[in-house]
Amino acid sequence: MAKSSKKLTPRLRKLSVYLYIPNIIGYARVLLNCYAFGVCFSNKWLFSVLYFISFVCDAIDGWCARKFNQVSTFGAVLDMVTDRISTASLLAILSQVYRPGLVFVSLLALDIGSHWLQMYSTFLTGKTSHKDVKDSTNWLFKAYYGNRIFMGYCCVACEVLYLILFLIVDTQSESLVDVVGSSLQQGSLLSILVALSLFGWAIKQVVNVIQMKTAADVCVHYDIEKKQKP
Amino acid sequence: MANVKKTAPRLRKLSVYLYIPNIIGYVRVLLNCIAFYLCFSDKRVFSVLYFISFVCDAIDGWCARKFNQVSTFGAVLDMVTDRISTACLLVILSQVYRPGLVFVSLLALDIGSHWLQMYSTFLTGKTNHKDVKDSTNWLFKAYYGNRMFMGYCCVACEVLYLILFLIAGKQSESLVDVVASTVRQGSPLSFLVALSLFGWAIKQTINVIQMKTAADVCVLYDIEKKQKP
Repeated sequence: MAKSSKKLTPRLRKLSVYLYIPNIIGYARVLLNCYAFGVCFSNKWLFSVLYFISFVCDAIDGWCARKFNQVSTFGAVLDMVTDRISTASLLAILSQVYRPGLVFVSLLALDIGSHWLQMYSTFLTGKTSHKDVKDSTNWLFKAYYGNRIFMGYCCVACEVLYLILFLIVDTQSESLVDVVGSSLQQGSLLSILVALSLFGWAIKQVVNVIQMKTAADVCVHYDIEKKQKP
Repeated sequence: MANVKKTAPRLRKLSVYLYIPNIIGYVRVLLNCIAFYLCFSDKRVFSVLYFISFVCDAIDGWCARKFNQVSTFGAVLDMVTDRISTACLLVILSQVYRPGLVFVSLLALDIGSHWLQMYSTFLTGKTNHKDVKDSTNWLFKAYYGNRMFMGYCCVACEVLYLILFLIAGKQSESLVDVVASTVRQGSPLSFLVALSLFGWAIKQTINVIQMKTAADVCVLYDIEKKQKP
């Protein structure tokens, strides 16, 4: 350990982390998203495919990191920031093509707010991941975080719902309620997919709200405990 | 110490939630909600409410220090409110200007740079991402070394976005046309737009540099962790 790490200069060591395989997948995700949003209005299907591939890469790079022993803090942050920005950008696009657009602006606010507060409270309590929540008393919270598959379903449901909403809108400024209502009433495969996605999306948003409250409590407790142990 | 034991944990929590600067924070959130609800029907009311919220941002920090009610929750509430209000304004701008993706990109840069900054602040144990002393970049030092300059750049961004929203005539205007014609007018507005553009450009450059610096902090954190098991 001593010999080989002393041979590597600090710059080379830094570069090697930037060139980890999962981090390269992360850069590919960023490029895919940039390209996808560049074509989102001119070619909806291409946009959706690229966006979805990026989403799949999100799962793959975590697996690669563990498999190749290339887990890095930078990789985790790159992942998180790419997720937040891609979801925010998709919600921004949706707010342009649906009425009332402010619904999607509100969802954007909830997404950023809840994840920001979560991350802050994770740091304050020294937990390694905001997904390692064990001591919350809320039953929905426990059900959500206790079951990784259920959690995965809710997260995927959100992205799928937003993508479907973007794909099925015909003209600008369509009424959101009308579009969702008519797609559910069709009784087609699309209806089932929309219904399933809506359910998972709803649970995720409720968990986001609860998480903001829980994380705020963590921030407050942190200060109280700091005062008691000077 | 004894009266701390008398106060129940729930009451102690409640007292922090009721700190004066935190109440100002809740007012800011409400102001922003009302502002964005009205943004298309009454642009001027929106701008006034948004600006008042921005002013409260400065006031609540001052109140926290004056009343000795500084809290982590208050700092987070402040930061999150800032990020969300700027993000929402950029989304609105992406609807009224072509190409809208310019504002979506600015949104991405704002979220990305502040997120990475916050992460790197935690990793290095600094109390505040504004306490940067050891960066070698000259612009970085100039920016963070001078609070007034920093304040000017931050205010310039918000003022530029508000002005752009106010002067947009109808839907889907070309951004380049609107900015160029405003600057060419030679009016006080032209002057204000030019000043804001300058500060905005510096802030965005800082944001980009900050992403790189913060990424380096994350990488160095892992390297140092490996060397001291």
